[in-house]
Amino acid sequence: MELVRDVLDKQLIDREGTKMGRADGVVLEIRPDGPPRVDSLTLGFTVLASRLHPRFGDWFARVRARWSVRKSGRYRVPWSVVEEVRQHDIQLAVRALDTPAFDWERWLRRHVIEHLPGASK
Amino acid sequence: MKKAMTLALGILTSVGGFFDVGNIATTAQAGASFRFQLIWSLLLATLLVIFLVEMSGRFAAVSGKALPDAIREHFGFTFWLVPFAVLTLIHLLTLGAEIGGMCFALHLVTGIPVWVWAPVVAILTWLFLWRSTFSTIENSTSLLGLLTLAFVVAALLHHPPTGEVVAGMLPSLPHHDPEKYWFIAVSILGAVIAPYLFYFYSSGAVEDDWDPSYIAVNRGVALIGMGFGSVISLGAIVVAAMVLAPRGIEVSDYHQAALMLTDAFPFWGFALFAAAMGIACLGAALEVALSMAYTTAQTFGWNWGEDLNPREDARFCLVYTGAILLSALLIMFGVDPLKLTLLTMAINAAALPFVVIPFLLLMNDGKLLREHKNGWLSNAVILFIVILSFVLAVVSIPLAIRGGS
Repeated sequence: MELVRDVLDKQLIDREGTKMGRADGVVLEIRPDGPPRVDSLTLGFTVLASRLHPRFGDWFARVRARWSVRKSGRYRVPWSVVEEVRQHDIQLAVRALDTPAFDWERWLRRHVIEHLPGASK
Repeated sequence: MKKAMTLALGILTSVGGFFDVGNIATTAQAGASFRFQLIWSLLLATLLVIFLVEMSGRFAAVSGKALPDAIREHFGFTFWLVPFAVLTLIHLLTLGAEIGGMCFALHLVTGIPVWVWAPVVAILTWLFLWRSTFSTIENSTSLLGLLTLAFVVAALLHHPPTGEVVAGMLPSLPHHDPEKYWFIAVSILGAVIAPYLFYFYSSGAVEDDWDPSYIAVNRGVALIGMGFGSVISLGAIVVAAMVLAPRGIEVSDYHQAALMLTDAFPFWGFALFAAAMGIACLGAALEVALSMAYTTAQTFGWNWGEDLNPREDARFCLVYTGAILLSALLIMFGVDPLKLTLLTMAINAAALPFVVIPFLLLMNDGKLLREHKNGWLSNAVILFIVILSFVLAVVSIPLAIRGGS
């Protein structure tokens, strides 16, 4: 498996088949006694911003901290919950709605969508 | 049997959905100012759009993926960011132009100013997206869009000079106003090869659960649907050339374009024009707003799909809601719908390399598409027309702006 080709940017799928974001970043753990190991995947606009430029990422993180409904800018998905890396997506053993990946989705559902008429087709 | 139905419906919806505000504006201008001389740019654009739509459907059928999704997955976020930003800009401008078209159609019938209609049209468009499923949108508005065939009927009723129409199929140099000639040529290219169209098409194919068995259907829809669709645009050029050009009417406002059908249909020509324009723009506005939501949701990996309940893909709904709001504001603050349309179509042409080249790279990926990857002929045709459109656009946009058209 190659991390950039097979993991980075791939669609993440939760236990219920919901699309729960993409692998915006991959965190490696450097170990003194062995080869580096994949520690986790990271998700969030802050991760994407720092991929463009680290300074842009820092700036984005500061703006975000003031306004966002999400508590943390980077949501870490430990590699232990990764069930399978397939050709077009990565299967995770979590439920998206229980994770910070769906902070915005939950907020929008609760504060906007539910208040509009005809939200179910 | 089911495939035959899909093919028939696909062709009808492509024909009905082909003609939108960009086509109305550019064909009316082309016919009024240069009679049949710009037909070549329509043919060139049609050739490219057939190739692009066929590729887009084939890609979705084989990989099960829509374009924005696949491009980010393959080339990464940083690479995708520029095409994504370009697409977002184009989506917003095009949506503004389509909303402006609907507002103008309503203005034509009621006399109430264009900008007043913007909030009404925005809410109507939004309600459609909020309540409907993908197939309802695809089938209802596109089938009603067959009303735009009125332009073909009108063109035939005018008995255009065949020799001149055929002569217009070959490119020639203008006898007057060269800046305007090239700007309209570019706008026609951008109106027919609208980038949202083939990005939207791939997401639509995923919504309809296409698999490799749809490749033949897809080829038929692209070739016949887009081919016949462009006959409507050809009809509109002919009508404008027969009705507007002899009277020296240049289309600097949609009111002048609205005269097009009054010779062929004296009593209800105005109403017919308004109805055709209104429906064509509504159908296109729904597609553009959806396309924007598909692109954004796939870029960030959110849940997406027009068949889901809004509470299952809240962020997807938020995107089309925001897009409609922003685009309607353009019209509400008095941006001229025709100028907005022409500029947007020219920008479409200039944007082609940014949105087509990543797509073309994917189409040549043998690991992904196996025996269904592009052949050298498609690659050559696409590269040639994309580069030509880009060069024409980059040269003609500044000239047109300086010339004040």
